[in-house]
Amino acid sequence: MKASIQSRTGAFVLGIALASCIFANAQQAKQPDAQQLRSYDVSREGSLLGTVVKFESASSTPPIGAHLLVQTASGQVDVHLGNAKVLQAGHLELSPGDSVRIVGELLTLGDSAYFAARVVQKGAQAVAVRNTKGFVLFPASAMTPAQKEALRGVR
Amino acid sequence: MKRLLLIFTAGTALWTAACGGGNGIVNPPPPVGKYSTASLKGQYVFVTNGEVFSVGANNATPLARTGVFNADGQGNITAGVEDVNADGTITLALQISGGSYTVNADGRGALTLNITANGTTSSIDFGIVLTSTSDGLLIDETSNSNQASTGSGNFVLQTGGPFTVGSVAGPYIFDFAGLDGNQTNLCPCPESFVGQFDVNSAGTISTGFFDDNDDFLLSSGAVVGNFAQDNLNPSFPISTTGRGVAQIAGQDFVFYIVDPTRVRFISTNRGMLSGDAVAQSNTVPAQVSSISSSFAFIVAGSSGSGGVTRVGRFTSNGATVTNVLQDTNDAGRFIPTNSATTASISLDPATPGRGTFTFTDPNFTNAPSKYVFYLSSATQGVLQEQTSNNSGVVNVADGSITAQTGSPFSSTNIAGTYAFNWSGLSLQNGGSFAVQDEEDIVGQATVSSLSLSGAADIFQFQSAVPVFDLVASGSISIAGDGTSSTGSSSRDTMSVKLVKSNSTTINFVVYFVNPQVAFFANNQDSNRIVAGIMKAQQ
Repeated sequence: MKASIQSRTGAFVLGIALASCIFANAQQAKQPDAQQLRSYDVSREGSLLGTVVKFESASSTPPIGAHLLVQTASGQVDVHLGNAKVLQAGHLELSPGDSVRIVGELLTLGDSAYFAARVVQKGAQAVAVRNTKGFVLFPASAMTPAQKEALRGVR
Repeated sequence: MKRLLLIFTAGTALWTAACGGGNGIVNPPPPVGKYSTASLKGQYVFVTNGEVFSVGANNATPLARTGVFNADGQGNITAGVEDVNADGTITLALQISGGSYTVNADGRGALTLNITANGTTSSIDFGIVLTSTSDGLLIDETSNSNQASTGSGNFVLQTGGPFTVGSVAGPYIFDFAGLDGNQTNLCPCPESFVGQFDVNSAGTISTGFFDDNDDFLLSSGAVVGNFAQDNLNPSFPISTTGRGVAQIAGQDFVFYIVDPTRVRFISTNRGMLSGDAVAQSNTVPAQVSSISSSFAFIVAGSSGSGGVTRVGRFTSNGATVTNVLQDTNDAGRFIPTNSATTASISLDPATPGRGTFTFTDPNFTNAPSKYVFYLSSATQGVLQEQTSNNSGVVNVADGSITAQTGSPFSSTNIAGTYAFNWSGLSLQNGGSFAVQDEEDIVGQATVSSLSLSGAADIFQFQSAVPVFDLVASGSISIAGDGTSSTGSSSRDTMSVKLVKSNSTTINFVVYFVNPQVAFFANNQDSNRIVAGIMKAQQ
C-alpha cells in the first residue's frame, strides 16, 4: 500500500509541475451556480498557492472531513481535503505556516462554496485526496452494501 | 501489530472523547422478551460490509464477507464457510470450524465464528439482534490481536436445500454495490451495479439488462453469464452450503443460495462488489398505468463532497407522481426537498420491472433527480441514482424502494419491539487524531407511546474498540405518511439518545414503509452521514 501511494504521489508531483493554471482568486470568484458546480469536473481544475493558517483533521463544517484554511495572495480560502486518513497514510502533515499548493476546484454545497482539493502538495511531497472524478478517497460509502441488503431483507 | 495495539489503547477513550464528560457507567436493564439461545437454530447466510485493520497495515481496508454458519440452538456454531474480499484481495472458502453465540430475551446477542485457515484458527465477533428466528441484523465487532473489523450486515435462515445449480432459476433482480476493479484512476472507486437477469435450470443466463454507475460514469447493457458449482473448493459443496460461483455481465462472483428466491453474492475479480439477487415475481407491473401506490425509498453512497444519503417517498398514480419528499445528507449538508415539479415514472418495455423515476427538485433545478429502479414485485425493488448536471453524474448511490402501506401511522400501530441498525461515517476522536470513519450500530428498542427504550452496541472504527450495551432511548414524532400537501410538516422524525459513560443524541428523519419497517437517516448535526433501518421483531 505504501509503495503504491508513493508511486501515485510521484505521478501527481509531475502533474502539478506541468500544471499551468494558477488559481489565485478562488475566494473572490463569482458565487457559482449550485447546479453547475455541484459535481467535480477536472476540466475546471486550477491550483491554489498559499500558507496554511489552520488544519482540522475532522471538521463538522460541511463537507465534513479534513479542512485547510489557506492564506493566499488575495485572501483566505477554505479547502476541503476529504478524509484525513488519506493524508496520514501518505505521511503528509500540515501545520500553520506550511507553504502548500493545492490542485482542485471550487465547488458548492448548498449555498456555501469551498475549494475541493484533489492533490495536496507540501514541498516535494504530494498526496492525492480525490480522483479525477471527484471521488473523495477512502472511505466514502455512507451506508455499506451489506446494510442496503439488510434494507432489502424486509420480506 | 504495534500500531494496532496503539490504536486499541488510544481508542479506549472513544466514547468519552466523542460524547463529552461524565463519570458513571450506565448499563441497560436486564433484557426482556421472547427470544433465547434456541431462537437461533439452523444454517444462516450472513453478509457484512465495512472495513478491517490488520496487523502490519498502515491503514484500514474496505472489507466484505459472505458465508454460512450453522447454529445448533444451544449456543454453539458447528460448521460454516465464508468468502472474504478485502479491497479486491479475495480469500475463498474459509472454513468456519466452530464458534459460539448468545441470544438474550430481547433478541440481542453476540456471535463468534472460528475461522481455520492453513492450520491456524482465529476468530471474528459480531453483535447481533434477531428480527425473527429466521433473520436478524448484525455488525462486525472484531477487535483482537489479529485484526479489528467493523461493518453492517444481516443473516437469513437458509431454506430449501439440498441445493443444486438449478435451485436458482427464473428471473431475478440484483443490486451489487461497493468498489470497482479499476486500478488506474486512484481506485478502487465506488460502483453501483443493478439489473435483472433470467437464468435457466442449467445455470445459464441468456437474457438480462444492467445499469452501472462506476466512479460517476454510467453505462448499461445486456447481461449474460452463468451459475456453476465451485469445483476448486469441493469441501464446501453447493448441496449443503448453497455456495457456488457465477459470472454476471463479465464479473466473477461467489454466491450463496439463501433460498430459491434470494441469492447472495460477493465479487471475486479485483473489485469489491456484494449484494443480493431476489426472484422477480409475475406481479411486476407491465404497464405504468398499473402502478398505483406510495413508495418509500433510500439510497446511499458517494458524492464529490464525501458520503451521501437520500431518503424519501412519493405517490404514483400511473405515470403521475405526487407528494415527493426527500431528505439529503451530502457530506454533512442537509437538504430537505418538500416538493417537486415535473415528477413522473416510466417503465422500460424491454426489461421486466425496470423503470425510471424523475423529478425536479426546487433546490437543484438544473440537476433533475433521476433514479432507475428494478422491481422484484409490485411493491419492492432496488434503486440506483442517476442524477446528473452539466458536469456529469453527481452521486454513486443505490438502495431500496418499497411500497408504503399501513398508514395512518400512529402510536397505535408503531408499537412493540424493533431491531435497528445504522451505518455510515462519523467524525471520531479515537487514535492519533480526529478523522471521519465508519460507524456501525445494532440494537433493539421497545416502542410504546412513541417512546423508545432499549440497548445497542456501537463500533466507531477509529478507536478499533466497540462499545457494548449502550442504553438507547428516544422518541418518534409522527406527522403523517407524506401524502399531506403540507410538505415539510408531514415528515416523521426520531431522536435516539445513546448512553454509556456519557451520552449523545442523534436526530433522524424517518420514512415508515409500514408499521413494521422504517428507513431513517440523520438530518441534523453535520458530524454524521448515516442511514439505517428499523424492523419490528416477529
